Amino acid sequence: MATAGERLVRQMAAGDREAFGAFYDRYAPLVYPLIVRIVRDRSDAADVLQDVFWEAWQGAAGYDPARGTPEAWMITRARTRAIDRVRALRRRGETFGPPVDEGLAAAPPEPGGDAADRAGDRGLVLTALEELPPAQREAIELAYYAGLTQTEISERLKQPLGTVKTRIRLGLERLRDVVRRAT
Amino acid sequence: MNTHDTFDELAAVYAVGALDGDDLARFEAHLAEGCARCATTLRESGEALGRLALAGTPEVPPPRVRASLVARAAGARPGRAAPRRASWVPWAAATAAAAAIAAMITGGVVASRYEARLGQMARETAAVRERLQRSEAALRDQVAVYRGAVELLRDPATRVVELRGAGPSPEATGRMVWHDKAGGHLFVANLPPAPAGKAYELWTLGGPAPQPAGTFQVDAAGRASHRVEPAGAPPAKFAVTLEPEAGVPAPTGPIVLASR
Repeated sequence: MATAGERLVRQMAAGDREAFGAFYDRYAPLVYPLIVRIVRDRSDAADVLQDVFWEAWQGAAGYDPARGTPEAWMITRARTRAIDRVRALRRRGETFGPPVDEGLAAAPPEPGGDAADRAGDRGLVLTALEELPPAQREAIELAYYAGLTQTEISERLKQPLGTVKTRIRLGLERLRDVVRRAT
Repeated sequence: MNTHDTFDELAAVYAVGALDGDDLARFEAHLAEGCARCATTLRESGEALGRLALAGTPEVPPPRVRASLVARAAGARPGRAAPRRASWVPWAAATAAAAAIAAMITGGVVASRYEARLGQMARETAAVRERLQRSEAALRDQVAVYRGAVELLRDPATRVVELRGAGPSPEATGRMVWHDKAGGHLFVANLPPAPAGKAYELWTLGGPAPQPAGTFQVDAAGRASHRVEPAGAPPAKFAVTLEPEAGVPAPTGPIVLASR
């Protein structure tokens, strides 16, 4: 059976603008904090958010429920666009914002009231991330939130490429494990 | 030794979006071959990372974003390209100074956006090129197999043995083009892809015990061709079973194809 989110995407594909509004209201508050966390500037984040939802509106017909929930679809899109933005700024040398690590540390988890229905599961993965050996956690965060490639991480941490790969694999295995056991 | 370990590692790095260089091309090629194990790893990783991404406190974005999206959607149906900044023209009509500033800002935004797109396109192009090279190589291999089979068929000593689906795959069919001195080619259709960690193994029957004659995988359409070296004693029958990926010396799994 189609979920409410999937129904909205289908209606969007048919050109239903009200569905688009409802879709935005449902998902924008979830993906916006992720974009803010990655690009770190709220005005930039708002631009990225707008691009992300515009792409969703235009690409609604290409959404395939078999490949993931609308939530996952939007997260992937939001992260990709946010990282694109960060990388473009980095290439142009315009941003000398706080070092990645500070930005990461400044994103405290606070299970909010609106998200209470999902807070259990979410907190679980977050706790798992926090409990990872620091080296594994750092490698995953540099990749996922800072958009560094394995080569860039290896240069930044002055660790062999193989070590970086292993840290990411071990850390991610643990996170997958937690999700698998929770479902 | 598990030869899939390397790909497990590449899959994890790919999932966090950090794979680059040769590793990226190599992993995408592997993925294009339809590795179910890596697909599962990616799906589960995506789910775990997604939950992580949503672990922050929900936050309502600035209202102007919604207003602007709704206004844009009113002017364009999905699937069609819409002008990106419709308000640019009136802007430019203002004073020269304002126009210059607007052009600078728009230029900057557009430049950074296109730079990101260009990078992405370059990556995609590299991946497509890699994929094309691989499919060309695969086609060449396949032509060699067919040519070998045709050569065999010219020889009057060659026989063609039909294999019928059995057990878990009654729909499957197979045909063995066999020559006692030159060996043969097995062609298979309608066989479901083997589960992760498994492969199909061919057996020649005729002696006291079935002799292993190599493992193979089927493509997404359920087809396969498999080259067989000549056996010691001329085999009377052939059978295919589902076995662990590395192959086994004596059959252990269910028979999926057998000749009469």
